[in-house]
Amino acid sequence: MIVCVAVVGHQNNPLYLQSFTEADDALKLHHVVHCSLDVIDERVNNPKRNAPTLNETFLGLLYPTENYKVYGYLTNTKVKFLMVTTDLDVKDADARNFFRKFHAAYVDAVSNPFHVPGKKIASRSFGARVSTIVKSFGSGTTV
Amino acid sequence: MEDYPEELRTPPVPLVSIVGCPELHASISAALSIQQPPMNTLALPDFSKANILSRTAKNRDPLAPPQAPSGILKKDWLLKHRTRVPAAVAALFRADQVSGDPAQWLQACSDLENLKSIIQGRHSKLVVILVQAQAGDELGEEVTVALRKRAEIDSKNLIVLVQNDETERNKSLLKLMSVFAELCSTYYKEEGRRIKARIEKRNFSSVELSVRYCFKVAVYAEFRRDWPEALKFYEEGIRVLREMIGTSTRLPPAQRLVEIKAVADQFHFKISTLLLHAGKVVEAITWFRKHIRSFERVIGSPEVAFLHWEWFSRQFLVFGELIETTSTTVPDTLSPRFGTADNALTEWEFQPAYYYQLAANYLREKRCALECSSSGANLTGDNGIPDSIMPSVYVGQYVRLFEQGDTISVLPLSDTEYTSYALSEAERFQDSYEIIALFRKAYESFQSLGGTRMASSCSAGMAIEYYAAGDFSNAKQLFDVVAGLYRQEGWTTLLWEILGYLRECSRKLNSLMDFISYSLEMAALPLFSDRVQSFSENKSKSGPAGWPTISRREDIQEEVVNILERKHTPEVVDGEFNLQLTEDNAHLDIDQISPLRIVLVASVAFHDQSVKPGSPLLVSVSLLSHLPSPVAVDQLEVQFNQPDCNFVMVSTEEGSSGLNSHFHGQVVQSTSLTLFSNKWMRLTHEIKSGQSGKLECLSVKAIINKRLVVCCQAESPASMEDFPLWKFEDQVETLPAKDAALAFSGQKLIQVEELDAQVDLVLDSNGPALVGELFVVPVTILSKGHAVHSGELKINLVDAKGGGLLMSPRETEESETHHVELIGVSTVAGDEVSKDEVDSIRKIQYSFGVVSVPTLGVGDSWSCKLEIKWHGAKSVMLYVSLGYSLDSSEDAALHRLNVHRSLQVEGKIPMIVGHQFLRPFRRAPLLLSRIRSSSGDDKKDSLAMNESNMLIVSARNCTEVPLRLHSMAIESDGDGMQLCSVEQISGISDEYAVVAPNAEYKGIFSVNPRAINPNFYLGEICVNWSRDLHLGENEDSHVIMKQRLPEVHIEEPPLLVSIECPPYAILGIPFTFYVKIHNSTSLLQEIKYSLVDSQNFVFSGAHNHAAFILPKTEHTFSHKLVPLGSGSQPLPRITVTSVRYSAALSPPTAATTVFVYPSEPKFNLEKSHSRSDECVS
Repeated sequence: MIVCVAVVGHQNNPLYLQSFTEADDALKLHHVVHCSLDVIDERVNNPKRNAPTLNETFLGLLYPTENYKVYGYLTNTKVKFLMVTTDLDVKDADARNFFRKFHAAYVDAVSNPFHVPGKKIASRSFGARVSTIVKSFGSGTTV
Repeated sequence: MEDYPEELRTPPVPLVSIVGCPELHASISAALSIQQPPMNTLALPDFSKANILSRTAKNRDPLAPPQAPSGILKKDWLLKHRTRVPAAVAALFRADQVSGDPAQWLQACSDLENLKSIIQGRHSKLVVILVQAQAGDELGEEVTVALRKRAEIDSKNLIVLVQNDETERNKSLLKLMSVFAELCSTYYKEEGRRIKARIEKRNFSSVELSVRYCFKVAVYAEFRRDWPEALKFYEEGIRVLREMIGTSTRLPPAQRLVEIKAVADQFHFKISTLLLHAGKVVEAITWFRKHIRSFERVIGSPEVAFLHWEWFSRQFLVFGELIETTSTTVPDTLSPRFGTADNALTEWEFQPAYYYQLAANYLREKRCALECSSSGANLTGDNGIPDSIMPSVYVGQYVRLFEQGDTISVLPLSDTEYTSYALSEAERFQDSYEIIALFRKAYESFQSLGGTRMASSCSAGMAIEYYAAGDFSNAKQLFDVVAGLYRQEGWTTLLWEILGYLRECSRKLNSLMDFISYSLEMAALPLFSDRVQSFSENKSKSGPAGWPTISRREDIQEEVVNILERKHTPEVVDGEFNLQLTEDNAHLDIDQISPLRIVLVASVAFHDQSVKPGSPLLVSVSLLSHLPSPVAVDQLEVQFNQPDCNFVMVSTEEGSSGLNSHFHGQVVQSTSLTLFSNKWMRLTHEIKSGQSGKLECLSVKAIINKRLVVCCQAESPASMEDFPLWKFEDQVETLPAKDAALAFSGQKLIQVEELDAQVDLVLDSNGPALVGELFVVPVTILSKGHAVHSGELKINLVDAKGGGLLMSPRETEESETHHVELIGVSTVAGDEVSKDEVDSIRKIQYSFGVVSVPTLGVGDSWSCKLEIKWHGAKSVMLYVSLGYSLDSSEDAALHRLNVHRSLQVEGKIPMIVGHQFLRPFRRAPLLLSRIRSSSGDDKKDSLAMNESNMLIVSARNCTEVPLRLHSMAIESDGDGMQLCSVEQISGISDEYAVVAPNAEYKGIFSVNPRAINPNFYLGEICVNWSRDLHLGENEDSHVIMKQRLPEVHIEEPPLLVSIECPPYAILGIPFTFYVKIHNSTSLLQEIKYSLVDSQNFVFSGAHNHAAFILPKTEHTFSHKLVPLGSGSQPLPRITVTSVRYSAALSPPTAATTVFVYPSEPKFNLEKSHSRSDECVS
């Protein structure tokens, strides 16, 4: 189950963060997402080790912490997507698929002429679409 | 890691035992311990001690059904095998014990039998060592065979040890070691196989035994250094253990879990150690993940959850420590694509810090669980902790000792008893410090790895622990650092949490100002998302401030307002909270980098860029606050760098006139000064600045609720930065000013121009300056509207052609090289002052001077004269600037007014002086130097000694003004005077002669040298001149111009030819013409003489003639001439040739011309005189 998704901007500032848990760990998820930016920095700023991943947007599992696993994705405009899940076994393909859909939703949201780039995404339809994508995660259905 | 017993932490080492011959034990055990792999030795001095090797008899009826074991692992099993159960036993016999005395032999045999029976139960192997003193001591073959038979061992297991021969002894020791090694290996293999067989046949009564067997097999494999097998059985054991959780019913559930976890802990430790020491990092981490996952949820009942978290935290801590001690690195073979299908691991998992952080997190979890449990236990009042509870012989079990009379029995515990025991044990420990230590370790490690966010998360963890432990100052310090990062990256929710803690810390530390500023910052924070409001406000999860919501923000703002208004808030009732405003005012400073900028920001813009002093200028002050509730500002004080411009705006609603009684600037009443959330309050005010220079708005002070003074640094709209946290909010951006141009380019500073100087500075000059004269430039200062105080006149002479200075800097030392020099400044009023001034000017520089101007009232004037001297013809610019202030006060001295004037002055040479030497009329000396250089390029003039030579000096006026020539003289030095007399023949008859522009004046001098000198310096021409000015002006400003005459050559002429001829002739009337030749040498001179016919004259006498002239005598030729034509006629041409000097003299035509009158003229004497004068000149 996906418990949290986030969009993080160029200055590592959160642009969108939504948690999907009933538990009281919303704040913890903020912490988890924030800490995982370190891993993204490490992966992105270490191109020597990551030579084959130069054009790869999917960053994979960033780190497991407690019972969460954080996955990352970096768009070509250096906007970071993060997804926190509690699933024990996440297939790479599922994660990639999720991020692909999420990216599409993000592109649609920021293409809104009333959206100012670099500002938080407040669009409700984006939120609704993200919820749908999150619900369909791992089920193999397409949105 | 230190919690584990020693035997678990180190790899097992095989154990052998040696019995008898105690003197050899030291050397044998030393040899065994340095072997590779080493062996431990259990040395028994004699056979009577061998009993300790015997197996403790279990009084178990072999026929009884097998009992279920009461535990999984015995605590001391491993220790026993490492220290008390040898794999092989060596019996040492001296050679003399077995040979010779039959009694001794019998003793040896019985000892051996005894030993055999003891070790049989252990399956230990037996070795017999025969000790010989010398190598040569032959033992009978039959003795060894008999001994071997007694011992029932192979021949290779009987070793002869030679005691005294070192090489032999070493050889036999080596043999002994190899025998021991082989026997140990066999022993452990057999033991392992025996137990493995039980596992394979599933020949055990309970699952506990299965785990135990796995452990034993693995340990035996470790003894053999068969690591893969050890690993396999450890893993098998832990698998069975994990399965046991649901199935075992032997113990009450809580204790059951504790036991299983304790055993699993040991298994896990062994597996991790084996994997990491073998360098299998990836396998180790994968194994750890699996281990964690399988035990993650095995929490047990909530009362003992803390035990689970403690255990869980230890798993991380131990694994982290193992990774740290084996100094793990990421293997090169691993795919660099962390976290993907290629490589499921992530970077941090290779770092011990990651495990420490999680260990700390789980330990915190334990602390929370413990708090819950203990509060629950206290509520029920169940304090029945039984006494004398101790760990049992089994790993992870606890029992109660029960004494009844002399018998001590061990009783099992109920879960309730155990829980209260565990609680009381756990409460004895201060977890906070352990958590802080773990976080600190992780923090330092992450910091060095560049994981700043991870590090600050650890830092926050530390801070929260300090907070929980009541160490508020440490907590505050750490929280402050963490808040910095969250502010920077705009993680408002996280910042909210940290600020909530900070607020509480300052409350606890009784720091009111901190409390107010943190509260205000919190209240002004943007909310991340409103959708999470529905969560319950669990303070343990979201910090003391709860979850950020609009209402929370408003509450926090309200709380601050209440403190300011000294109202009591409901929270005061809570107890410790006793923040009170002790002083009258609370003061907050907000600058451009302050996090409180979101609370209040002041933007100040002038409407113009520059302004004349005294004229009104408009300034816009805009204030913005992000506080959720409207803020009523009582008073707004705007401060400038010129305090006179400060003004205060007072809200009329408040009517707080008492506040500004001390204020001396302007006070403006404004209807309403209420700031609404995220809306600019724009105020425009008109001020006047009377002072020139920069006028800058420094700060805006807002007084809120009468007591809070917020001092905002003023910011220019043009250079105003975005609000650090609000810039990411998706909202319409508002501008500080309605006028967009002002909003984007407005500046908080304005240039107030200087006053127009109302003083006139007049420079006057009369034409070009003449070289040598003291040129005077009158300067007049005329005050038209300003009084001049502490005025200063600066004079500067600059080369008009550019290049700045009048001389190169290197030349400044020599005054000769100055072409133009400022000699002095004379004021009209007092000469004494000017004298000083002159001195000071000289001291400064030749082209620069400063003169102070006396205080002048309005309408007054003051003038002075600049005296400038030109040494060469040069054009200069004269710059004069007057600086003054309007009054003599200190303040005014800073604002000086300046008037600048400049004038170009041409420097000209007044006169060109020339000269010419002439000989007397019709008298030609024969000068040798002349003769020799007939080419005539000799520059040097030759003068004849003792003859009067003529010098004509001409002075031409090359200026455009008439000049007066006062005198013209030749000045020679002392020697020259004696050796040569110079007399002025004609000169200035009157007081002076006026030379008009371009006119020339000539003076005639006669030079009569009296000594021979090839380089005679005649002297200087001194011309004393002045401008031809009207009477009364500069009477005494004569200028003496000197020009040096070139050196001349003075010779004594050997021959002197004079022509004597009447001044005129009359047509037809004969006259005599003499040529006199004077020989001034002491030699006889032969002279040749020739006369050429002239058509205008007939003459008598020889055409050619020669004569000898005696020394110092004169010879005269005379011819009678009759003129045939009238007018100016050339006489017949005479040539006198000196044979001795081969020099001919032909007098010049001018000297041999005579005017012939047609008849006897009639004229008076005077006229003829003047005419002859003219002729001469």
